[in-house]
Amino acid sequence: MSRKVFRSVPVLVLLVVELGWFTPRVLGQAEARPSTENGEWPHYAADSRGTRYSPLAQIDAANFNDLEVAWRFKTDNLGARPEYKLEGTPLMVGGVLYTTGGTRRAAIALDAKTGELIWMHSMREGLRGGLAPRQLSGRGLSYWTDGRGDDRVLYVTPGYRLVALNAKTGVPISSFGVDGVVDLKVGVVYGRDQPIDLETGEIGIHSTPLIAKDMVIVGSSMREGMTVETHNNTKGLVRAFDVRTGELIWTIHTIPRPGEFGNDTWLNESWADNGNVGVWTEMTVDEELGLVYLPVETPTSDFYGGHRPGDNLFAESIVAVDLATGERRWHFQFVHHPIWNFDNCCAPILADITVDGREIKAVAVPSKQAFLYVFDRETGEPVWPIEERPVPQGDVPGEWYSPTQPIPTKPPPYARNYLDVPDDLIDFTPEMRVQALEHLKRFKWAPTPFNPAIVGNVDGMLGAITHGTATNWPGGGYDPETHIVYVPAGNSPGGSRSITPGPEGHSDIRYLLGTGGAAFRMAYAAGTGQNPDATGRGAREIVTPAGGRRPPGTSVQGLPIVKPPYGILAAIDLDRGEIKFQVPHGDTPDDIRNHPALQGMDIPKTGQRGTSGVGLLVTKTLVIMGDPQVTTTPDHPRGAMLRAYDKATGEQVGAVWMPARQSGSPMTYMLEGKQYIVVAISGGNYTGEYLAFSLPG
Amino acid sequence: MVAINTFSDTLDAQETVWGGIYTEEQAKRGEPLYFKECASCHAPDLMGGEAAPALTGGEFIWKWSGLSMGDLFDRMRVSMPQDDPRRVSRQQKADILAFLLFKNDFPVGETELANRTEMLNRITFLAIKP
Repeated sequence: MSRKVFRSVPVLVLLVVELGWFTPRVLGQAEARPSTENGEWPHYAADSRGTRYSPLAQIDAANFNDLEVAWRFKTDNLGARPEYKLEGTPLMVGGVLYTTGGTRRAAIALDAKTGELIWMHSMREGLRGGLAPRQLSGRGLSYWTDGRGDDRVLYVTPGYRLVALNAKTGVPISSFGVDGVVDLKVGVVYGRDQPIDLETGEIGIHSTPLIAKDMVIVGSSMREGMTVETHNNTKGLVRAFDVRTGELIWTIHTIPRPGEFGNDTWLNESWADNGNVGVWTEMTVDEELGLVYLPVETPTSDFYGGHRPGDNLFAESIVAVDLATGERRWHFQFVHHPIWNFDNCCAPILADITVDGREIKAVAVPSKQAFLYVFDRETGEPVWPIEERPVPQGDVPGEWYSPTQPIPTKPPPYARNYLDVPDDLIDFTPEMRVQALEHLKRFKWAPTPFNPAIVGNVDGMLGAITHGTATNWPGGGYDPETHIVYVPAGNSPGGSRSITPGPEGHSDIRYLLGTGGAAFRMAYAAGTGQNPDATGRGAREIVTPAGGRRPPGTSVQGLPIVKPPYGILAAIDLDRGEIKFQVPHGDTPDDIRNHPALQGMDIPKTGQRGTSGVGLLVTKTLVIMGDPQVTTTPDHPRGAMLRAYDKATGEQVGAVWMPARQSGSPMTYMLEGKQYIVVAISGGNYTGEYLAFSLPG
Repeated sequence: MVAINTFSDTLDAQETVWGGIYTEEQAKRGEPLYFKECASCHAPDLMGGEAAPALTGGEFIWKWSGLSMGDLFDRMRVSMPQDDPRRVSRQQKADILAFLLFKNDFPVGETELANRTEMLNRITFLAIKP
């Protein structure tokens, strides 16, 4: 069994200026822009259109199982302690791999052939880093070049600083911002435009900055909003800066201010004392049209909106803005008055499609609620009608409910987004289904993802049945040749959501995530408190009701209440608006395969629930995605598999073993005639590692 | 020449988590420590929450099955509690681990769970009793 080895990695920046042997460029000539066409991977999602597509074809169905580990890079010593949640997707440009890693979120450059460290940069941010709402190494970084030798790497630190580095040396560009740094907390406000404290103010980001022409665009994120102390939180924003100088070009207020369009969707002046509505995930851009697509997230307090009556634009909307000026061109709100935490999770995918003979420049947005929303990306016109339909109204005191929500008519939901009773219920045995129906008597369910939360109590109705999460931050991908969108999706509705008044004095929000009579649990963003300068302010002892009990969950004999498949890979044909295939993803989890009540049964591969947490890669012939969970099966020892699917049919055509679950989305590149796949793995006993595969020889 | 092997007593035993590897008293010491240091994320009943996984139940047991107690202990030692792993001592973490084993119905024994990774490496964590 391989043991993790704490290699001592040199921390000093290695100044190697003459890297001629890395790049094919001739000095003095303008270079071709880095592109997947060159076998590179210059952006988090392959390109700034969100496709995760590379046309490389060397690795295919015939040889996928022959892949070997070419090299591996541990991120253990890039911070004060190892990380167990490495989520980055590296970039590859000119023979060099660029990515982030470690509990301090260091930016690193590696030799893409061997994984050898070339340079590393990180900032000691002290208390500011320690209090950051979004810690650990994040999703990666970005690359810009002027095509004449000025090559830069840009990333955002945990303490929310935008850093520009010389891509060859890792040294900050002194002419960018102040000595290479733009302080992104400057200009951030809460309430009625009150500046946040630069040290303690709550804002950060995990996703990568968007490079568009000569601009760098940065979103914003706050803490997880389930149990927060106040609804008057930091206000989210999106800003564009000059990539050369760091000068601010435009700012977008996602919560409209008085006089701005949409301000009246915050009734009772609630725009003033509510916040969040950031853009925490990846943005995309159509440089020809000059439009940036912003996937906007949830307002403060994910599950209770009584302090912000109204539709709350532009929360949980897609907003298309002019690249040069930041002016809004069009928008569409997916959830009016958000109270389900359906925050936009991933890159809006730019797809040029042909529908009923008509060519459309489209944008397709995957979601947690398993809808793929498809629009003409120039005009904002839905490609297929999206209908406002009545949804159940809840009865939580003080809440404001939208009477309708938009429902796409096409394509159909690409995963289950509500628990269909009884057809979706567990059915390994008739007895289990009966038990499931019995459990459900204490929960409120509805045939829609927009099932409102209830004020649950351990002695009464426990909660509202939830949709599960279909797609999350890894997002989907797109094949520009066949016009197929590929999305990973959790397929497991059947959780429970209850809100309840929080402990005395904890919050000014009337209702937080929790169940009456049960012990209160703080919900933190993943990675909270792991920055090297963390203060221990993260965990606190909350006074809980004496004898606070656990509300029963929905599981049946320890098994999910919903029947398999628990997680899937879905393919949607965008020319037709139809689902092309859905296949289970991931081995049947060990606790299900080995469940005493299921022994002797022949249960087809169930897939894994955590599929909402893994991402994919699309190539000339394959869709590649790893398991979100470790299993031990007759076919492989304890580990997770990196799987290859025939992209036309969804048939699994290969799988190679990895020692830990996939925790970051895979990428691919070609270097000196060899194709590589690199994927981040971590979790359980296994610390963060970038694992590179290639064919033998 | 005398070769002194201070670990000779324990080298021969092939131990698993089913062999009575902690004491009830140790688990009792671990209980209040769990509530103080772990329960705010992992829940008083060990069932976890939005950001922290359950420390009981099928998914947890099978996630670690096949690894050693040293693997589990080292994960706790290096990264838990998440905001300040050094706040809780190695001995306290061994006691908390004993409490976790107790809550997962692993049998008690005569010897306390060691607080050293290299000792715990020799005990295999198994979901199913061999």
